[in-house]
Amino acid sequence: MVDLFSNLALGFGVALTPINLLLCLIGALVGTLVGVLPGIGTIATVAMLLPITFGLPPVGALIMLAGIYYGAQYGGSTTSILVNIPGEATSVVTTLDGFQMAKQGRAGPALAIAAIGSFFAGCVATVLIAVLGAPLTKLALAFGPAEYFSLMVLGLIFATVLAKGSILKAIAMIVLGLLLSMVGSDIETGASRMAFNVPELADGLGFATVAMGVFGFAEIIRNLDAGAEMDRDLVQQKITGLMPTKKDLKDSFPAIVRGTILGSILGILPGGGAVIASFAAYTFEKKIAKDPSRFGRGAIEGVAAPESANNAAAQTSFIPLLTLGIPPNAVMALMVGAMTIHGIVPGPQVMQKQPELVWGMIASMWIGNLMLIVINLPLVGIWVRLLRVPYRLMFPSIVIFCAIGIYSINNAPVDVVLAGAFGLLGYWLIKHDFEPAPLLLGMVLGPLMEENLRRALLISRGDWTVFLTRPLSAVLMAMAAFLLVLAVLPSLRRKRDEVFVESET
Amino acid sequence: MSDTPGQGPVKSIMPKWVRGPQDFVGGIALMAVALFAFWASSDLQGMHGFSFGAGTAPRMFAGLLLGLGFAIMLVGLIADGAHLQTYAWRGPLFVSLAIVSFAITIRPLGLVISAFASFLISALGTPETRWRETIIVGICLTIGCSLLFPYALGLPMQLFPRFLVQ
Repeated sequence: MVDLFSNLALGFGVALTPINLLLCLIGALVGTLVGVLPGIGTIATVAMLLPITFGLPPVGALIMLAGIYYGAQYGGSTTSILVNIPGEATSVVTTLDGFQMAKQGRAGPALAIAAIGSFFAGCVATVLIAVLGAPLTKLALAFGPAEYFSLMVLGLIFATVLAKGSILKAIAMIVLGLLLSMVGSDIETGASRMAFNVPELADGLGFATVAMGVFGFAEIIRNLDAGAEMDRDLVQQKITGLMPTKKDLKDSFPAIVRGTILGSILGILPGGGAVIASFAAYTFEKKIAKDPSRFGRGAIEGVAAPESANNAAAQTSFIPLLTLGIPPNAVMALMVGAMTIHGIVPGPQVMQKQPELVWGMIASMWIGNLMLIVINLPLVGIWVRLLRVPYRLMFPSIVIFCAIGIYSINNAPVDVVLAGAFGLLGYWLIKHDFEPAPLLLGMVLGPLMEENLRRALLISRGDWTVFLTRPLSAVLMAMAAFLLVLAVLPSLRRKRDEVFVESET
Repeated sequence: MSDTPGQGPVKSIMPKWVRGPQDFVGGIALMAVALFAFWASSDLQGMHGFSFGAGTAPRMFAGLLLGLGFAIMLVGLIADGAHLQTYAWRGPLFVSLAIVSFAITIRPLGLVISAFASFLISALGTPETRWRETIIVGICLTIGCSLLFPYALGLPMQLFPRFLVQ
């Protein structure tokens, strides 16, 4: 307990220096600004703004990145609510009720509740990381390659079970992502795999490139189809009353608390914890509501719960990153990239060797969330106005902005073309009802899974039963199998489908 | 594009025994990707002893994808499912063209010309475009990006055509 306070004190000592506060503020602002633009979600925003942080000292860079992350996430939920375009998988469910609220002219309260819920969840999760971080680092020592592999399998299964639509298709998308992650140099032998002698492919497909393609460009192309036109116009009609009423607050507070608890627990699981959390929180709210039919028609709990849950989960998902070194989602994977550039290898050692870095970042998350609520409540009106810009002017701007952003990462024109190709792939996936989010997760976890699989089999001298004979690994595998069976059972399937019914209309 | 209302089902070009064309075609496409990956990784070393070669994992994942693609195709065969959706040609075409033209021109012509030209090309992606405002916004955006990326963010990026700078 004493440790906890001294750790947090150390963290706040680092985060509250004027320069770090300023970096946090800039990060949160820029993150929101870019994240608000429809078609550029959290992943794309963080990817695009990554280069800004290269020149800073490690702590400052991570604090700014964390700020960008929260800002972008908040910006992402803004577009979910205002234009029905989820910036990231985590805010998909927010569109269900958030956009309906916006259509009814209640965009302001929806945005405000999203911010308040996120802030509350952020506070709880920050304390939780501080409490759980150190003990879990010890647990990490019990993890061998077999356990890591099983844990990732469990995470991926979790992600498919709670993804939208067909489970078979979601698994197929994960495997496609795994396959895509194989492009580039082999870690052990250095052999070039499926790169066709293209030098830009030697390092593998850039994660940001693929993300920008399947989320950014594909969304734009899809939105240009005439069908999406209607919804976009509707929201531009009337927006009144930016502040939530007392009744809104009273209705959403319990939902925020429930969402936070659910999110904090699920976020610790690797494999898109935040995505699962937001879906689970929404389902849960709908289940316990007195009148479930309100959901999908602008229920404020439908915004409050998933937004709190995804923020709580987003923060607790730092726990697997810091203790096990596994990036549990796409954004964390980018964080790993940023850390590596600054010479930090995420994992159990970081917490012991560079406590000021870890705790500084944790403290800055809380400050970042506070700043967001301070900046954004007054600025909601401006974001709303920004989105009144007609789409015919908006989309070419986003195309150019994305193109410059991708180009700037490696100064490679080929990356831009690749992102375009992935945009067309993403368009095709949407047309065939394949979800792009599991694909991205597969891409992130692919190299890690391969490495641990190889190592586990090397240690066991080629014995595949190692995943079932080591107790910890066996438990994880059993949980994965159980989940999969459960998901295929007809009764649960029906319930799972119910959640998404409204999103189809 | 107004003549292609994005979501409507197309008149089925599929034979009658395909009951879910969307999954049927999707599954076949995934199988094609898997087969392509098999071919692309065929030159890589496989298992030697009990340790993985460079080609083991790619082929393993390709094999999995092949199986899953086949399963999805089967689902499309035996269960009633969604029809194929229509594809709009205008949006994808011009957005892709804009991206490609940006990639080609950014090096030789610099950010200003490249960004502005790509802006105009991608604006062709919708019939709603009004050219006066598009050109004005394009100019503003180009100026904004020219200030933001090379100056505010300090990224090494050429603004003007090479032959003018030299």
